[in-house]
Amino acid sequence: MSDRVYEILFIADPNLGEPEVDALTEHIQGFAEKEGGRIQKVEKWGKKRLAYNIRKHQEGYYVLVVVEGKASLVKEVERRIRVTDGVVKFITVRVDEELRKAESRRAQRARVEAKRKRPPIPRPSAAEGEEVPL
Amino acid sequence: MSFGGGGGGGRGGRGGGRDAKGGGARGGQKDAGKRYFFRRRKVCKFCADKIDYVDYKDVKLLSSFVPERGKVLPRRMFGTCAEHQRKLTLAIKRARNIALLPFAAD
Repeated sequence: MSDRVYEILFIADPNLGEPEVDALTEHIQGFAEKEGGRIQKVEKWGKKRLAYNIRKHQEGYYVLVVVEGKASLVKEVERRIRVTDGVVKFITVRVDEELRKAESRRAQRARVEAKRKRPPIPRPSAAEGEEVPL
Repeated sequence: MSFGGGGGGGRGGRGGGRDAKGGGARGGQKDAGKRYFFRRRKVCKFCADKIDYVDYKDVKLLSSFVPERGKVLPRRMFGTCAEHQRKLTLAIKRARNIALLPFAAD
């Protein structure tokens, strides 16, 4: 079983300072690594307004962590996030399949494009004389 | 009320134009009731822009498909193809979950 790629997007408490958010992020990365996950990417989006209030917060600090790992990793990491203070809300999304599909689409399109660009094979000129009336 | 006819009616000059609704004008010209719809053919934005993966994190893109109140609108509004509408719907739902988009704005 190959590993899967998950995006963990969580909202940290906006009242936390920058260093605290960093610490929290590392904490969560630690959860994932302990479960045998490999961190692919960490993105801090900064403070953003929430579309609706969550636990009386109007804004939140968004952090995205992309992890590659086993399915069991998600279960454990989610459980740990739930008991962690400072995380207002989080979402885990599996992305590898979708991205792979998108990638193959792109490749397919590139192939078609390449085919179209290749000059057409010159036909034997038998039919050249007579014009085909529409 | 009366037939505008010659010069009297003022603005009703172009009979049978688009605005054939003007009440009294009915019957003046034969095809006054004929209305023409010019509907631009809608093309799926995702197909046109070659977006294969509809990302729930891309708020800018999603919000262009979501009205103020945060509803998911039917396909006919944006002309998205079935496949991309499905993906769009899923992406909107994910984005709602993490408060990037509203469920129902007040």
